[in-house]
Amino acid sequence: MRVIRVIAATTFREALRDRILYLFLGFAIALLASSKLFGILTVGDQAKIIKDMGLAGIQLFSMLIAVMMSVLLISREIDSRTVYYILAKPVRRWQFLLGKYAGLLAVVAVNLALMTAALLLFVWVYGGGVDARLLLATAMIGVEMAVLVAFATLFSVVTKPILGSVFTLAVFVVGHVSEDLWLLTRHLPGSVGRALATGLYYVVPNLERFNFKTEAVHQLAIPAAAVGWALLYGLGFTALALVLACLRFARRDLQ
Amino acid sequence: MRPRTVAALVTAAALLAGTVAVEQRLQTVSRADPLGRELLYLPTAEMLNLTSLGNAGFLADLLYLWSIQYYSQFQPHERFLYLETVYDLITDLDPLYHDAYRIGALIMQIQTGPDDAERQQAVIRLFDKGLANMPDNHELAEAAAWDMYVRYRNMEQAIRYVEAGVEMPGAPHRLKRLLAVWRDREEGLSFEEALAYWQEVREEAETEYDRVVSDRQIYRLFAARDTDRLDPLLERWSERTGSCPSSWKPLVDADWLREVPRDYFGQPYRILPESCSAKGLDEVRFD
Amino acid sequence: MTEVELRVHELRKTFHPGLLEPSVEVLKGLSLEVARGEIFGFLGPNGAGKTTTIKAIVGLVIPDAGEITIAGHPHDSLEAKRRIGFMAENPYLYTHLSGREYLRFSAELLGIPPPEVADRIAAVLAQVTMTASADRKMRTYSKGMLQRIALAQALLGEPELLILDEPMSGLDPIGRRDVRDLILGQQERGTTVFFSSHIIPDVETICDRVATVIDGAVRGVGAVRDLLAREVERYELTFTGADPARLATPLVASRVGSDAAWARVEAGHRDALIRELADAGARLVSLVPVRSTLEDLVVAQVEGRSGS
Repeated sequence: MRVIRVIAATTFREALRDRILYLFLGFAIALLASSKLFGILTVGDQAKIIKDMGLAGIQLFSMLIAVMMSVLLISREIDSRTVYYILAKPVRRWQFLLGKYAGLLAVVAVNLALMTAALLLFVWVYGGGVDARLLLATAMIGVEMAVLVAFATLFSVVTKPILGSVFTLAVFVVGHVSEDLWLLTRHLPGSVGRALATGLYYVVPNLERFNFKTEAVHQLAIPAAAVGWALLYGLGFTALALVLACLRFARRDLQ
Repeated sequence: MRPRTVAALVTAAALLAGTVAVEQRLQTVSRADPLGRELLYLPTAEMLNLTSLGNAGFLADLLYLWSIQYYSQFQPHERFLYLETVYDLITDLDPLYHDAYRIGALIMQIQTGPDDAERQQAVIRLFDKGLANMPDNHELAEAAAWDMYVRYRNMEQAIRYVEAGVEMPGAPHRLKRLLAVWRDREEGLSFEEALAYWQEVREEAETEYDRVVSDRQIYRLFAARDTDRLDPLLERWSERTGSCPSSWKPLVDADWLREVPRDYFGQPYRILPESCSAKGLDEVRFD
Repeated sequence: MTEVELRVHELRKTFHPGLLEPSVEVLKGLSLEVARGEIFGFLGPNGAGKTTTIKAIVGLVIPDAGEITIAGHPHDSLEAKRRIGFMAENPYLYTHLSGREYLRFSAELLGIPPPEVADRIAAVLAQVTMTASADRKMRTYSKGMLQRIALAQALLGEPELLILDEPMSGLDPIGRRDVRDLILGQQERGTTVFFSSHIIPDVETICDRVATVIDGAVRGVGAVRDLLAREVERYELTFTGADPARLATPLVASRVGSDAAWARVEAGHRDALIRELADAGARLVSLVPVRSTLEDLVVAQVEGRSGS
């Protein structure tokens, strides 16, 4: 546990020095500028548009940070051979990977927290109702990112950095559309396409399970079971991706 | 500076001036309905939903904002292209988008022209879709009822919406009263009844938007009552003098009026020379 | 027999770079043993498998077959790793940290008790003479300074086995002397040192024993003196009054200078040459036995392989 914590802390620090966190600043300014603009343009409820836009932006930026940083930081460590000195010490390979994962997740989480704070501020300034559902929706984006960073970790040990980013991005896209594709193929004749879509649906995490944006924006009731099972679902896929990553990394030659 | 540098700078400036001139020329060339063609290629709600990666609500916002800008460039007598399709798409993407139903219906109502009856059906379809998606939204039912009553004088539909609204949880008391009055008198409300109704709405309003809407209704009530009284005066004056007065001053001087008649906001009514009738502020605008 | 600190037995490794590229068999049954407390040099040409062997020992490369133990423990166990201090060739370190920050990170990974960390870091910084630059970011360091910090992190855990891959490469003469002194100092406190190098004079002067690795296997192991003694087989003669070109005795090499002539012969032809020079009336100026260097040894082994 000590080892994982130390590696996580160093990864977090490296990310901070990379100035990636300042993406947040760009996001905040963009949100400020555009919500002001949309405030001028819209007729009716400004807060709805700010919430929609804010949640979409938070998801997009978190995804970008997760995809770019994860693959970058793990591959950089391996390619630049700094990993040699870590693994020659009494450190297990899986401890190294979990440490990296924890550090990256902390980076994403801090960004998410800052963006959420900015969003709540904007919603409050523009007179929208700030309620717990908004916080829940962003927290579930965090769970989605936990799954995504785990997949990024997996891809960064099985493939090259650029491919790793592309694959992680693919998981994000497919994860959001797989349910719809699956539902669409149900109406189609032919069992091959249906079997493929079903397979895809179960192998790739259905990231829509973590989507509580509509409920947050329209202040609808959220069943506790939907949140609870989604947490378990996210945990399951995170563990799956990390176990696969550790398995692969345990047998990988570093050179 | 060396001559060559100067020559290069002058050339660059000349080129820039040239492109600016060409761009200004391009602006004057009218193109055949570019936005309409753009609308033809609007994707289906399913495709948009897929590409939004879980942000259909945000996509609905963007489309909504765009539609407001797009349709506000038209004049009421022009054809509003694909209006129903666009609002159908927006409300497919976000079925709970209250503003989109209300404003969509409003934009449809602004249009005038021969296919008015058809558009009235489109308005009804949009409100019905909204109430089907939000069966508890009594504000939408109330708005639908008033739009039917004020714009189309369609008492049957107006009463249907109020009836639906009354059944909804949390519906304000005024809806019940409105229903009773409308059922009693199919032709509508008296000035005092309507004024009392809208004043109550204004007092109970929780948003700036609702306040603006009720102010606008109150303004219209007063304007309708006043022009009903002023128009016969103008008619009689024209008959008597052979011409329409350009201002209210001659009528005040002749003691036909005690003072220059003013509207709800304190602005004097205008006199439209072609019809020789009194007129308040122009039509509904979004601001 | 003294205790074995590091034992590598029948190590085999083949790399498979990709679908379209041929596989490379780097280690072909490499074996060696390093006794506790000795300084052991690991010599061989580039591509012979030195770095792969070292990476296998510290657990960066996973061998296809073979066994590695450190003080009797399997090399990938935490017990084994706690005993190792490792420095790679061409060290790459976190450039966003200062030297001291990096050593603190290393100390935390090693599990050094927090109260001791600061003292231990100060001690290793002094050992590698980096105390003055310890608080600068490492991106401002020269290659030699990075190497010193890499060495410092290897020493930080007070290892009983120090594994160094090319520790002298890229260093100036003063740096090389410092590293040499440091290795000898480590031996005095009982540390076993295993290092690879291609700078043969350094190996000659400080190693107790040497292994030469060629083409993925160990060709010769032994004390430097023994390895060389077996191979000292040549003599150099300087003389006047005879033309080397006309001598009947086969020469390895010869040259005619302004004052005297010079020739090198195999040991077996030494007496014949002296007799021939005497018969020709020439005067022998000097007779010097040529001790072959490790370099000759390695070259001879490489050539022997290609010849066979």
